[in-house]
Amino acid sequence: MVFISQIVGKPVSDAAGAIIAPVADLAARQEDKSLRISGILLRGDKLRVGIIPVEAVGEVSSTGITLSVPRASLTTRPLQPDEVLLVEELLDKQVVDIDGLKVVKVNDLQLGRSNGTWQLVAVDVGVRGLLRRLGLEAPVATLLERLGRPLREWLIPWQMVAALSGPPTALKLRVSRENLRKIHPADLAEIVEDLGREAQLEVMANLEDAVAADVLEETEPEVRTSILKSLSPERAADILEKMAPDEAADLIATLPEETAANLIAQMDQEKAATVRKLLQYPEDTAAGKMTPEYIALPEWFTAEDTIRYLREHAPPAEYLYYLYVTDAEGRLVGVLSLRTLITANPETPLRNLMDTEVIYLRDTDSADAAAGALAKYDLLAIPVVDAEGKLLGIVTIDDVMEILLEKYLPRLPARFHRIRRR
Amino acid sequence: MLRRIWFRRKILAFLAVMGPGIITANVDNDANGIAIYSIAGASFGYRLLWVLLLTTVALAVVQEMSARMGTVTGKGLSDLIREQFGVRATVFAMSTLLITNWANTVGDFAGVAGSLEIFGVSRYISVPIAAVLIWLLVLRGRYKQVERAFLFASLMYVTYIASAILAKPPWGRVFREMLTPTFETNPAYLTMLIAVVGTTIAPWMQFYQQASVVDKGLTTRDYPYARMDTVLGVLTMEVVAFFIIVACAATLFVEGISIQTAEDAARALAPLAGRYASLLFAVGLLNAALFSVAIIPLSTAYALCEAFGWEAGLDRTFREAPVFYGLYTGMVATGALVILIPGLPLIPVMVLSQVLNGILLPVILVYMLRLTNNRRLMGDYTNSPLFNLIATTTVLVVGLSAILLVGISVVDAVKAAVVSF
Repeated sequence: MVFISQIVGKPVSDAAGAIIAPVADLAARQEDKSLRISGILLRGDKLRVGIIPVEAVGEVSSTGITLSVPRASLTTRPLQPDEVLLVEELLDKQVVDIDGLKVVKVNDLQLGRSNGTWQLVAVDVGVRGLLRRLGLEAPVATLLERLGRPLREWLIPWQMVAALSGPPTALKLRVSRENLRKIHPADLAEIVEDLGREAQLEVMANLEDAVAADVLEETEPEVRTSILKSLSPERAADILEKMAPDEAADLIATLPEETAANLIAQMDQEKAATVRKLLQYPEDTAAGKMTPEYIALPEWFTAEDTIRYLREHAPPAEYLYYLYVTDAEGRLVGVLSLRTLITANPETPLRNLMDTEVIYLRDTDSADAAAGALAKYDLLAIPVVDAEGKLLGIVTIDDVMEILLEKYLPRLPARFHRIRRR
Repeated sequence: MLRRIWFRRKILAFLAVMGPGIITANVDNDANGIAIYSIAGASFGYRLLWVLLLTTVALAVVQEMSARMGTVTGKGLSDLIREQFGVRATVFAMSTLLITNWANTVGDFAGVAGSLEIFGVSRYISVPIAAVLIWLLVLRGRYKQVERAFLFASLMYVTYIASAILAKPPWGRVFREMLTPTFETNPAYLTMLIAVVGTTIAPWMQFYQQASVVDKGLTTRDYPYARMDTVLGVLTMEVVAFFIIVACAATLFVEGISIQTAEDAARALAPLAGRYASLLFAVGLLNAALFSVAIIPLSTAYALCEAFGWEAGLDRTFREAPVFYGLYTGMVATGALVILIPGLPLIPVMVLSQVLNGILLPVILVYMLRLTNNRRLMGDYTNSPLFNLIATTTVLVVGLSAILLVGISVVDAVKAAVVSF
């Protein structure tokens, strides 16, 4: 085991012991799951044409690299397109610790030898790595040892790292980047907030539309606006289509008008129409917080009709617990629970099953009123109607939770307990 | 009609990105700033006004560089320094930043003490209370709500404009002196020169503005507005500085009063406020001091954590981000403690902190120059030759003055030692 900071700057000498030049960087290549060292870049080689292939390397230690061949028979080659330069592209850069779920800075890189090849074993993200770079590791470690508080290592195995370093490198580190997919979108959202913009876009590029939508929904407004502005309009529209319409509308509302209009134009027509409708409502009203994805049924449906309808259409509504009943004009007339429906006699029409005492909100009511009503009546969702009593949408408990959290609980633990498959 | 709509939209877009530059510039007129400009006017009359012209250009260029780096890279300044120059250079830059920012915090606590001493409140009461209040305010995440109040209170600088005009200074001479640079090699003049530059272009400002630009998620598309915001901020700040110097020169300098305490500086507002001058000045100084005591330690903690990859942010718990909270708390606590040293003269402390700003400013500027000229990093947004010229000149002028000052001080000290021997 050796750290890259112990190699860079040390001399490379040939089999006869003649010093060639100091090490500038190490080239590596993705093979299977690991990143294997493939060559040595020497100091002064600005054009990167004189890479010493790893096959010519005899011994690697913290005093320098000794080649197994004499200088005369050494054949060098240019840097290959699939090779990564470790110092240039990883050291001092941000990477994601996918186990600890946070963004960390690479202080050093640990290399190890297995099956005859050198490979990247771990990234050092601790103070020890920083001190090593400063040449202070030994004295500080000894001092702390004496004080009875030994200096700890903080290494993250390379397999647990998602590296995001610039567009040209991204492909070469594809395997590492795919590690991101193991992270829950809600956690990924927080990680994205801590990344630089280029890395943010790289994360987005690497996710499927639906996951990208989940991630964006959870990030703070400034970050998602900046991401959406930087993505191509086509991709941004694809992601927006996968979002819950209310979230998509909230997001679009924060964009500059031009960008917003552009995005809506790119979205599929049905989604775009829904979003446009939602955009009419001010954000701090009940209507501004509602989702149009609810289940409304005509009052003349029987219980059996309803169950068949639900089975066939499998509506995208998240909240199946409440089924709203409307009359011929679309006015809200009643509500029934999934439980009532299932336990009912199949022939009974909904008008005889439903509860006609419905708590509802007007579209102009405040968002706070929505929160209050949900809490007071212990509901999971509450319908919103317009001046004529027509059902427009529902405000669900998770939307309300967000309002309340923002107001009263600015600081949340960033990480929660979880069981994870390795 | 169309034009009006277009215009309105532009204004709206500007308001949406407005902030980083204007807020940074306003915090820049902190208690130290008020003190330095007051002393400059009281001790040197209109002789240092020419420096303001130069700092206006230099500050605009420097802050624009930060805003541009923020919009182009989406990264903070300390992050960029770390990624481009490695650990050693980062440790050096961050030590510089930590030292100057700490000194600024000390200076601003001196401002808290000085302003409340006008009301007869002992510094042993005012400083600890202010420290704890600000600390709690920021940690409870309530800072954003208070920021507006601070900004609004910054309007009190208008009183300097009124006071300067009411004092009826010889305007012809004022502008003549502003346009004719003078240079003296006596330590008092040099100290003041460096302090004026240091208080105007303070190292923390570049880190702070770039971080705010990144936090707001501004991209190159917002760059024209971010630039406008920067220029507007710099201009308002410099106009205020100008009137503080003129007000002090027209009142204190002509009467031959040198500023020993905050109370002396308050007399510059007498033409406007008469016997309420002290009150007005105290309130303004206190606001300026508290505003920056809230911002500077926090922005330092952010910058350092960003450079070394430690978790940071007020949305984290103490266990998650111990270094961040430790740095913030440490700076506030030690900054306040220094002021509690019995018999410590407040005004010299404030001057010293700003001289330190000036001496260490070139260090940060050199890093920034290298970053903004890096084509791989900045693409089409690298510095123009004119910008490089202005920024490099700033580095040289400030650097040489600093070396000169240190040299002269050392020589004087040696002479004094020899004489007393």
